[in-house]
Parts: sequence; structure tokens; C-alpha cells
Amino acid sequence: MIKRTVLVFLLLLVTALPARAQTFGAQEFTLANGMQVVVIPNHRAPVVTHMVWIKVGGADNLPGRSGMAHYFEHLMFKGTKTMAPGDFSKIVKTLGGEDNAFTGQDYTAFFQSIAVENFPKVMEMEADRMQNLAPPEEHFQSEKAVVLEERRQRTDNDPRAMFNEQINSALYVNHPYATPVVGWMDEIEKYDWADVKSYYDTWYAPNNAILVVSGDITAEKLKPLAEKYYGAIPKKNIPVRLRPNIPPAPAATLLTLRHPSVHQSVFQKIYLAPAEGKEKQDSLALQVLAEIMNGGPTARLYKSIVVGQKKATSVAFDYNSTMLDYGAIIVGATPADGTTPEEVGALINAEIRKVIDAGVTDAEVKQAAQSLQDEAVFARDSVAGPAMIFGAALTTGSSVSDVESWAQDIAKVTPAQIQAAAAKYLDDAKPWIRPAVTGYLLPVEPEKTPEPEPAKQTAPAGGQDVQG
Amino acid sequence: MFKDKHPKKWLLLFTLFVIVMVGIIVFFGLRAQAAGERFLDIREVKTPGGISVWLVEDHTLPIVAVKYIFLDSGTALDPDDKQGLARLLSNTMDEGAGDLDSQAFQKALKDNSITLTFNAGRDGFGGQLQSLTRHTEKAFDLLALAMTAPRFDEEAVARMRDGNLTRIKSSLSEPDWMASRLINDKAFASHPYGKNSGGTLSSLARITPDDLRDFKNKYLTRDRLLVAVAGDIKAETVGPAIDKIFGKLPATAAGGVITDTALSNAGKTYLFEQDIPQTMVDILLPALGRKDKDYYALQVMNHIYGGAGFGSRLMEEAREKRGLTYGIYSGILNMRHADTISISGSTKNESTAEMLSLIGAEMKKMQDTPVSAKELGDAVSYITGSMPLALTSTESVANVVLGLRAAGQPIDYLDHYAANIRAVTPADIQRVAKRILKPEAMTTVLVGKPVNIPTAEIVKELPNVQ
Repeated sequence: MIKRTVLVFLLLLVTALPARAQTFGAQEFTLANGMQVVVIPNHRAPVVTHMVWIKVGGADNLPGRSGMAHYFEHLMFKGTKTMAPGDFSKIVKTLGGEDNAFTGQDYTAFFQSIAVENFPKVMEMEADRMQNLAPPEEHFQSEKAVVLEERRQRTDNDPRAMFNEQINSALYVNHPYATPVVGWMDEIEKYDWADVKSYYDTWYAPNNAILVVSGDITAEKLKPLAEKYYGAIPKKNIPVRLRPNIPPAPAATLLTLRHPSVHQSVFQKIYLAPAEGKEKQDSLALQVLAEIMNGGPTARLYKSIVVGQKKATSVAFDYNSTMLDYGAIIVGATPADGTTPEEVGALINAEIRKVIDAGVTDAEVKQAAQSLQDEAVFARDSVAGPAMIFGAALTTGSSVSDVESWAQDIAKVTPAQIQAAAAKYLDDAKPWIRPAVTGYLLPVEPEKTPEPEPAKQTAPAGGQDVQG
Repeated sequence: MFKDKHPKKWLLLFTLFVIVMVGIIVFFGLRAQAAGERFLDIREVKTPGGISVWLVEDHTLPIVAVKYIFLDSGTALDPDDKQGLARLLSNTMDEGAGDLDSQAFQKALKDNSITLTFNAGRDGFGGQLQSLTRHTEKAFDLLALAMTAPRFDEEAVARMRDGNLTRIKSSLSEPDWMASRLINDKAFASHPYGKNSGGTLSSLARITPDDLRDFKNKYLTRDRLLVAVAGDIKAETVGPAIDKIFGKLPATAAGGVITDTALSNAGKTYLFEQDIPQTMVDILLPALGRKDKDYYALQVMNHIYGGAGFGSRLMEEAREKRGLTYGIYSGILNMRHADTISISGSTKNESTAEMLSLIGAEMKKMQDTPVSAKELGDAVSYITGSMPLALTSTESVANVVLGLRAAGQPIDYLDHYAANIRAVTPADIQRVAKRILKPEAMTTVLVGKPVNIPTAEIVKELPNVQ
């Protein structure tokens, strides 16, 4: 789950949070070595999801070492002083469990879902690889090849993924979010053993980790186990994470990609937006706005552009708020036959302009808030889901109480706050920090019908234009 | 990212079904046996109108899920020149019903936080309703309206058709979609399963609202209906609700019979060339039906061969030892008229030949050498131990129950399942490998620009897309 997928997933989850003062009834405590622990009891099935979130991600990689956080996540499955490479997942399986891991810009997370009686064993193994990792040399090399295949599969084989990667790169001026979590091909190839060793020594420590356990367990039962396995790991001095600001960058950016395997054009536009952990009030207002703009077929964008004007077959308005430094609002559309991405982009701009100029209605806000609150009830209907929600929130600047009171807070958002937030973050005429990045993904232009001689195709396949 | 959360769509369809059905099913058996009683209390409720419902009551959360399928009423029944008909029906059933036009209907769902979806697969037309307890009356009313009086307004049908057309064009840049289109065409060359369930660019344009109405009236009938209900609802409420929803449908279907089929083009490899760095590999071969005495052995064998993901032989050899791929999987798919096993993965163009030969070599190994006691024990332990993982949401419980019904299993089937899995021996697995894991039986498709595949037949145009 590379960055984007996971973040969108988490965003959905986080948007689907709580309904009461204590939506999840989470409990928290901290071990003597500084490891934070969150427990979310849910006794419906005899199962737990056990997660460890490390507070380091793609955005913390050193220059020239893009993808290291993600590659390191892979290495965590490659054995310890007492365990052979690959055995971690095999043992989890033998115990009837599933395990997985993912890396975002701000975190690296490992998890297992397993019958509650087998849960102490996975805890023991997770604690082991937090302090005793020892991947053999040949796995260090072959895993690079695996990551390169992962990049090919997810990105290089897919023009839309390549395009999204470029849009992100353009948006985050002077900021590490500009680099994809998976990393660049040639930099992945160059990692050496010293990089890996120092990475582990620097970041993997209990005081830089959060334990989240959801399911058939209580804080009382968990605490002695957490102390036994994680409490024994020494703490480290964790360096300050270097996260530069995005400077004012007034040039509007337009990216165009014509690609031979694209047969359907796409419009995309990404606005820089606040992270929920930094600007909570604005962020809540934008979350309600996203619901009003695109919370289904009766929301503003679909109703106007797809049903009313028939200029697109799908529309998007997604707000990714679960980031440490900056969030993003991603709007987009699949143009209907005969409509250009430029035209459909103008229609979306007009809908955003309406919000800035005229605001939203009380009824819209009330309905959107109710929807979000109901989604919070559905969010409890899962064991792994709530663990994901808490882990993502706590590694991006929010607290347990922020998550628990989310639904109450959402209900307090007013139309005036939404209009003000739209004006602050979505006004192309007065951009926040920097203007949105607009992108058009297009098929290669059809060759002109030959007159005397067949016209040569001049557009370079896969070429792109960047205009300021 | 460590593991592929987004395996190829086609594999996903396979494995979702197989894993959810098979894996999870095992769990019930296990628990039932261990406890000497049923672990999950699935009850049959007969509605006053005579519809059989399998119900799991659970009042932990104020949520109710209803899942249903009209078996044998899926995309395999689409006329050749109107491929995509059942799929378009599934897109338009919730686009207005009775006095409510599309926007009014969708608003009623949204205002009450009701999720109502329909879907069309090869073997059936299904759907799902999920609601908070406080809105269940409204939810049942809206589903009943969609079932009995869908409008199929021109506007909504056109909008859904246009959405499908852009979806197809978008898919044309997705190697996994292209591979799955091609394998269906080649492995089911003269059978309805070879059709494009999502429709083609020309077939969708031919489908009219009357076609939708006709398909619905002929095939969405009570004799083909299976229903599962889970969550915060009582048996006495279920009966009348289900009657209200489905009771007015015609009693019996008007025709629509599909015949069983073998796989076609065994031993052949097809290549659809794309200028991309990685080649997508999709393979299909015949497997065993659920009634076969070796079916349990097949499941354990598949787990060891490629079904497990991490720990499977394919993953060990291709990813862990050689770094050839991010993921390679096998999966069993039992359809109504064909029983198959799939193998799917991707690797850079330069190593495609190596990965293909490895897939064959691992088949040979499974045929020639019995699996070790440890390998078998680990597989059995996972299959029987992982079952509780499927019971963590209302929807997944409803899924399990409907899966049982769709597979034609008796309500107590699960009580014996774990024992049957545990009874599998290395000799059983070897026997099944000899029956099933035959390289010469594979139909193989490749999408990409693989190096050194001289035997591949080049496919110029993706079939059934235009």
C-alpha cells in the first residue's frame, strides 16, 4: 500500500470516524521507555489486530535515498538474530493470522490480525524485530529487485500513476512529499548496507513507535504483555525530523501528459490544504465541504456536472487531511465524450467559485454532518479499521481525544466556517501558499489524415510539458 | 506495500470469492466441532411468503446487512450483441423507482445513510443492503421499490452507459484488465463465460431500457433467489421484510440456461503486446468441483502451491529467492459451469520466460514429490486457524452465509469442514497435483513486451472491447 492508496484509504476511514463523545472507547497508556500504547476494545469476535506504527516515513528519507523508508519496511520481514528471513509471516500464518505492512510519507506501520489466544506470540516477534533485525546480505540485494518490481507494477506500468507522481512532485515545492514513497528507480538501486544499518539504528525504537491494539482485549490484559515485550527495549535519542516549509510559489502550474496507452482523458487539480493535526478547525470545515461537494450522487459536483450538464461521467473532490505537514484537496473528473478536460475543469472551478462567493446552506451542512456521524457508527463495525484510524491520526499530529471527539466536532462546523475555509484554501485568485497544480492526462493526438504524405507523429510518447 | 493489497482485479475476484468462501467457511466448521455446538448461529427463517432466509442475529452494533443473489441470472445470459446488459442493469436498478426519480431515490438513501448496491457476475445477479437499525424500515422500502418498480429512465440509463464507456476506455491502459479480458476470451472461447461482462464500446450503445426491464422480469425471480441477513434484527422482523422486498417478483425464471464447459486453448500462450516495462501473466487451468472427493485436498494443495501468498511455493521461489516479482498467486474459482484454478503475477519483461518456467517447474515438483509433513501441517493450521478473521463485521458475516448458500452447501456443512481438511494427506495432494497441476493444460496470456517467448501467439486486438 503505497502512500497514495493507503492515504486515500485512511482518509476514507478517518472521514468515517466517531459519533459520540467516546466513539471507540479507546484507552491509552505509555510504557516507561516512552512507547505510546492505544487499546480499542471490541469483543465481537475472538480476534485482535496488533499494529506498530513507527514515526518515520518517506518524507524523512535522506537526499539521494528516496524510497528508503519503504524498502526498510520490506527488510523488516527478512529475519532477526534468532529468526530466519521470511519466517515472521510464515509463523503468523501457521498461527492462523494475517500480517502486512505499509509505508506513508509520515509513518511506517506493521500489523497482524490473529486469534486472540495467539496474539502474545506476534507481540514477541514484533518486539524482536524492533531491536534485533539482521537480514542476510543476499536478501538485502534480492529485496531491492522486489521493490523495483513493485514500482513497475504500481507506477511504471500505469500512465495514471506516473501522472499522479508528477503532479505531487510539482505541488510540494521544497518539501519531501514531492518524492514518491516508493522512491525513484535509480536511487533504490544504489542503497548500500551502511544506509540500511544507520536507518535502523536511527529510527526504530520504542520511543519512536506507537502500539495500537484493537479487538478482543482490554488495557488491563494488554499492559503486562506490552511491558514484558516492548518495555524491555531500550529507548534511543531520536533525531528531529527535518520538514521544510513550502515557500510562497506564485506561479500556477499546469502539467500535460500525452501517453500512447491512454484512451480516456482525465482532469485533475490538486490544492495544497491544511493537515488536520495542524489546523483542526479549518480541516473539519474542509471535511464537511468535501462531503457537500462530492458525498455521493446527490452532492453538488455529481448533480451539476454529471447529471445536469452531462459534461463528465465521474467527478472527485477528496480531501486528504491525515498528513503531518500539509494535506491536499484533489479534485478531478472523467470528461464525457466530446468534452475536453479543460472544459470540465472550468465547470469544477465554477462550482468551487460558487462556494467561495455564496457559501453553503444550513441544510447542506446539517445533512453532511449527519452522514459523517453515521459513517462513524459503520466505522466501528470492524476490528482492523479502528486501529488504522488511530495509528494514522496519532502519527500525523492528532491525539486520541481528537479521534474520539471527531463526530461531535464535525457537528459544530458552521456554514460560515466552510465558506471561509473555501476562500482561504481554494481561491485560485488568492492561493494559500501556492496555486493549485492542474493536470491533463491525454491520449496521443490521432495522426492527421494523410494529405500528400502521411504526417509524422511529432508528439513524443510519454512527453510532458510543464508551464509556469 | 509489503504485500500486494491490490492484486490484479481478476485475481481479486477469484481469491476474494475463494478465500472468503473457503477459508472462512472452514472456520465455522472448526469452531462448531471444537465447541460441540454451532459457533455461528445461522438459522433458517421461512418467510410467510415462503422465501428461505439464512439469518445470523448479532445485536452488538445497530447495523443490519442483507445480501442476496439471483443465481444463474448473471452476465452469462447477456445476448452476444448486448454484452454488458446485466451489468448495466446492476448500475440502473438504484437509479430511480416508483415515484422517485434518480436524484430523489439517491437522496432518500443518502439522507438515511443507507447503502444499497447491485452487482452482476457471470453466474448471478446480486446485491447488498446495509443500514443503521433506526433506518431499516426505510431501507427495506427502498429496496422493495427498486426490486418491484425500477424506472429505467432514459436519462439514468444513458448516464450509466456513458460511465461504462469511459470506464472501458480507462481500463485500456490497465495491463491487469487487458490480461483478464484476454484470458476469458481464450479459455472460454465458445462459451458465454468468454463474453465481456462489462460490455463493449458498441454493445452498450445497443442496450435499451426495455432490454433492462426484460432481463429483470425474466431472470430476477424467486426460484433463483438466495438471501442472507446479519446483524441487529430479529427473526420475526426478517420474514415480512423479505416478503415485502422480494415477494412480488415472478415465481420462476423464463429460460436462461447455461451449459457446462471445459477450458479451451489448453497449452497455448497468447501475447497482447504493450510498451510497458513489466509483463502481466494470467493463467487458467481446469480444477475440481466442490462435490469431488478430492476437493479438500485441492484447497490445501492450492494453499501450498500459490494460494497462501507469502509462504507459498510460488512466492518463495519467484519473489523471496529470485526477486522476480512483487507478487504471484494461485486461486481456485468454482463457477457454476466450470471449475478452474488461476495463476497470476507480473515481472519485468526480461524475466517473463524465467517466471513462466518456474510456474511449470513448481507444478512438476508438486506432482513428483509428496509435500512434507511440516508443509502440510502449516497449511492445515492456517486454513483451520484463520477463520475468526472473517467474522469481524456485519457485512462479512452476511458474506460468509450467502457464500455457503451460493455454493449449495447444507446449513451444517461447516460442522465437518475442519475434520475434512485435517484428513488430507501428502498422497492426496500429490494425486490432485497429478490431476490438476498440468503445465500442458494451461491457457496462458501475457500483456507487456516480454523477451524470449517464441511460442506465444500474437493477439493484435483485444477481443470484445470495441
